[in-house]
Amino acid sequence: MDVSERKTALSHEILMKAEKPARYTGGELNTVIKEADRVKVRFCLCFPDVYEIGMSHLGLQILYGLMNSYEDVWCERLFSPWTDMDRIMRDEKIELFALESQEPVKDFDFLGFTLQYEMCYANILQILELSGLKFLAKDRKEDDPIVIGGGPCTYNPEPLADFFDIFYIGEGETKYRELFDLYESSSSKAEFLRNASHIEGMYVPSLYEVDYNDDGTLKYMRPKYEDVPVKVRKTIVNDLNECFYPEKPVVPFIRAAQDRAVLEVMRGCIRGCRFCQAGQIYKPVRERSVETLKKYADAILANTGYEEISLSSLSTSDYTGLQELLEYLIDECNRKKINISLPSLRIDAFSLDVMNKVQDVKKNSLTFAPEAGSQRMRNVINKGLTEEDILRGSKMAFEGGWNKVKLYFMLGLPFEEKEDIAAIGELCEKITELYFDTVPKEKRQGRVEVSASSSFFVPKPFTAFQYAPMDTMESFLEKASFCKKNVRSMHNQKSIRYQYHDAKTTIIEGIFARGDRRLSAAIINAYKAGALYDAWTESFSYERWMKAFEDAGIAYGNYIFRERTEDELFPWDFIDCGVSKKWFYKEWQNAKEGKVTQNCRAGCSGCGCGTFQCGICVSR
Amino acid sequence: MAVARIKFSRLGPVRYLGHLDMLRYFQKAVMRSGISAKYSEGFHPHQLMSFAYPLGVGMETKGDYFDLEITGAESGDEIRDRMNAVMNEGMKVVEAAIMPEGEPAAMAAVAAADYLVEYESGKDTDMAFLIGELMKQDEVFINEGEEEAEHKGGKKKKAPKDIRPGILEMRMTEDGIFMKLKSGSAMNVRPADVFERLLKFSPDQTALKASRLIRLEIYKEKDNTLCPLIG
Repeated sequence: MDVSERKTALSHEILMKAEKPARYTGGELNTVIKEADRVKVRFCLCFPDVYEIGMSHLGLQILYGLMNSYEDVWCERLFSPWTDMDRIMRDEKIELFALESQEPVKDFDFLGFTLQYEMCYANILQILELSGLKFLAKDRKEDDPIVIGGGPCTYNPEPLADFFDIFYIGEGETKYRELFDLYESSSSKAEFLRNASHIEGMYVPSLYEVDYNDDGTLKYMRPKYEDVPVKVRKTIVNDLNECFYPEKPVVPFIRAAQDRAVLEVMRGCIRGCRFCQAGQIYKPVRERSVETLKKYADAILANTGYEEISLSSLSTSDYTGLQELLEYLIDECNRKKINISLPSLRIDAFSLDVMNKVQDVKKNSLTFAPEAGSQRMRNVINKGLTEEDILRGSKMAFEGGWNKVKLYFMLGLPFEEKEDIAAIGELCEKITELYFDTVPKEKRQGRVEVSASSSFFVPKPFTAFQYAPMDTMESFLEKASFCKKNVRSMHNQKSIRYQYHDAKTTIIEGIFARGDRRLSAAIINAYKAGALYDAWTESFSYERWMKAFEDAGIAYGNYIFRERTEDELFPWDFIDCGVSKKWFYKEWQNAKEGKVTQNCRAGCSGCGCGTFQCGICVSR
Repeated sequence: MAVARIKFSRLGPVRYLGHLDMLRYFQKAVMRSGISAKYSEGFHPHQLMSFAYPLGVGMETKGDYFDLEITGAESGDEIRDRMNAVMNEGMKVVEAAIMPEGEPAAMAAVAAADYLVEYESGKDTDMAFLIGELMKQDEVFINEGEEEAEHKGGKKKKAPKDIRPGILEMRMTEDGIFMKLKSGSAMNVRPADVFERLLKFSPDQTALKASRLIRLEIYKEKDNTLCPLIG
C-alpha cells in the first residue's frame, strides 16, 4: 500500500481542531502495517493514558514487536483520546479506532490493556465506551473483542474483574503465542476462555465465584468448575538473553515523555524493600548479559536514530555488568554523538566518575532515595541505605563539584513516630553542614541546595506491608506539615527545599490497590460522573470518587484503614507470584521489630521464588 | 566542511506534525543515514540543521528545504539516496546539493513560494471567476478588525495589511488553485489568508472549504528573478 495515501479515521477538519493531531494519525517510524485479511488475529494494544505517556512505556514496545513478529497476528496501538478529542468523538459519534489501520477497535479480536497504575481505571471505561463496547464482560457479545489486561495492577485485578475477560498475570513474552493458537482453534468465546484458564498465568474472572463475610472481608474465592485452577501462577521469562527484545521500537514523531532508546538491563530487584511491590512481583532477579545489551544498543540506535539512550531496571546499580556496559556505551556514544541518560545510581566513586563523563556537572543534582528519615525507620522498611552511605556519597559529590542533592522520602510508613519524621529535616541539615565542612569558602559556587520531597505511603498487595493500615488523609497532612515546620526550623533552612505530594490521589490509589470485586460499581459511578485522566491533577476530583463509593454503598475505609490479620483471605491470594504469603507475614513481623532481611545477593531468605529455578536463585 | 541543502516532500497523514516534530524527525533520519553531520560543541551536541520555512500543522509539501552542515565529502545524490533509504511513510528527499561557498542560508534566502490549494465546493462555484475578481483588486486587506490576538496580556488588534503586492500569480489548474506568493521577512503572504479573501467574492461563501494545502516550491531571488532554493 502507498502509505502516504493511508486514510485517517478522522477528517482533516477534525484533525485541525485537535490539540495535537499527530496523536491520532499513526504512521511513525517502525510501525507495522499488515494486510488485515491476511492475518488471523488482530490485537489492539492499549495504554489507557495519553499518547506521549503510553509511547514512553517499554512494555508496550515489547508486546508490539513480539506480537507483530508472528506472521498470523497484527498488533496495533491505541491510547486514550485526550479530553479535547474525547469531546469531539462523542459529539460527532466517531467510533474509537486503532492507530495503524485506523479501523474501529470493535472489529478486533483482542483489546489488550496495560495496567500500570490505579489512577487510569476510569480511562479503561472511556476506551470501552468510545469503542462501542459494554463495560461488563458478561454484557459483551460473542464477536466483540476479548478484553485482556496485563501489567502490575493485575497483581490485584479484582476491582477490574467485571470489565475483563482475561487477566494475563506475569511477563508478556511467554504465553501470547499459546493463547493465540488456542484462540484460532476455538469455536466460541466461552470455549476459548475456559481453555485459556488452563494456560499458566491466565486468570479468567468469570470462572470464579466470591462471597464475603459480614465484616466485609473475603469469605471465599473459588473456581466454578473443577478444571479451572484454584491458583493462578505468574508466568515469567527464564532467560532474558533468549527472549524477544524490541530492536526496532516505534519512534514517535511528537515528543514523548521518554524520547530515547531504552535498554532493560535486568528484571527484578535483589533489595526487598518492604513497601515495594515491583521488587516482589518481578522476582527473581534475572540479568541480561553485557554482550546481549551491546548488540541491542547498536541495533536500536541504528534503527531509530535516537540521540539519547538510557538504562532501565528497578535498581541499575545492582546490575553486575554495569561498569563494563557503561564503558562500552560511553565510548560508542561519544563517537556517535549520543547522550547517555543515566538512571539514579548509588553514589560512589564509580558512579561519580561516570556522571562526570556523561553529564554537565553544573546542571545535574545527585539523587538519594532514603525513603525514611531515621535509621530505625529504614530498618523497618528494609531499605539498605544508611545515613553513612548518604553522607559519604554526598561528601564525595561535593568534592567533585556538585552542590545539589535531591532526597526522596515517604510519610505514613508503618510504625512511624514523630522522631522519624523529624529525622528528615535533620538529615537535610547534616548534608548542608557537610557541604560547608567539605568545600572551603573560596571554592563554593552558588548555594548548596538540598531538595527533599515526600510522597504518602500506599500499602500494596504482595508486599510485607499488605497487612498494614494506611494513614488517614488528616494524618498524612498533619505529618507533612510537621515535617515542613521541622525543616523550616533548621539552621540552614534556606538551603533546604521541602515539598510533598498530593494526599487525595493516594487515598484512592490505596483503595484500589487492596480492593475487591465490589469496587467495579464505584469505577462505573465515577466514570459516569466525569472521572477521566485521574493521574493528571487538573482532571482529578477526590469528591467525585468519594461520591462514587457512597453511591455504590461501599465503606471504603474498610479497604485501607484497618490492620489485616495473618489468617485473613485477601482478594489477591489466588495469585501465586512465587513469593509465599508466609514469607510476607514473616517480613511484616520483622518490620515490626525493625529487623533487617538480607538482600538476594547476600543470601537467600527463602521467599519461595526458588521454584522458578532461574536468575539469581540458581546463579548465586 | 560544507553545507548540504536538502529538498523534501511530506504528503499524507504526516502533514499533522508541527515544525519541531519535523526537526526532530530529520535529526533522527540524518542519524540513521550515517551522513557526516557536523555537531555543535558543548555537553549536548546537536546537528547544525536549519529549515528554510517552517511548515504549519496540516500543510503538505513537495518542495521544502533544510540546510545541514556536514564534515565529509558526500555528494548531493549520495545524501539523497542515503536519506531515502531510511525515510518514513509520507516523507521523501526529492533532491540534495552541496551549496557553493558564500551561498546565503536557506532561511535567509526565502523570497517566494508556490502553493496548490485543493478545495471542496458547490457545483456552481466558478473559481476562475473568483480568482479573476481578486486579481483585479488594487488592494487586498487582511486583519480588517476581525481578528484579535493576545498581546502582552492585553488584546491588541492586528494592523490591517495589504497583501495584494505579495500575490504574484494565481490561476486555476486541474488539481486546484495555484498561487505564487511572496515569502520572507519583507513580505510574507499565507495561502490560507488568500483563500479566505477569495471566499469574500463568492455569493455562497460557506460552500467553499480548503481540503488540502500543498507547498510546491520555495524560491530565492537571484539576479532579480525567482529561482528554486537549489539551483
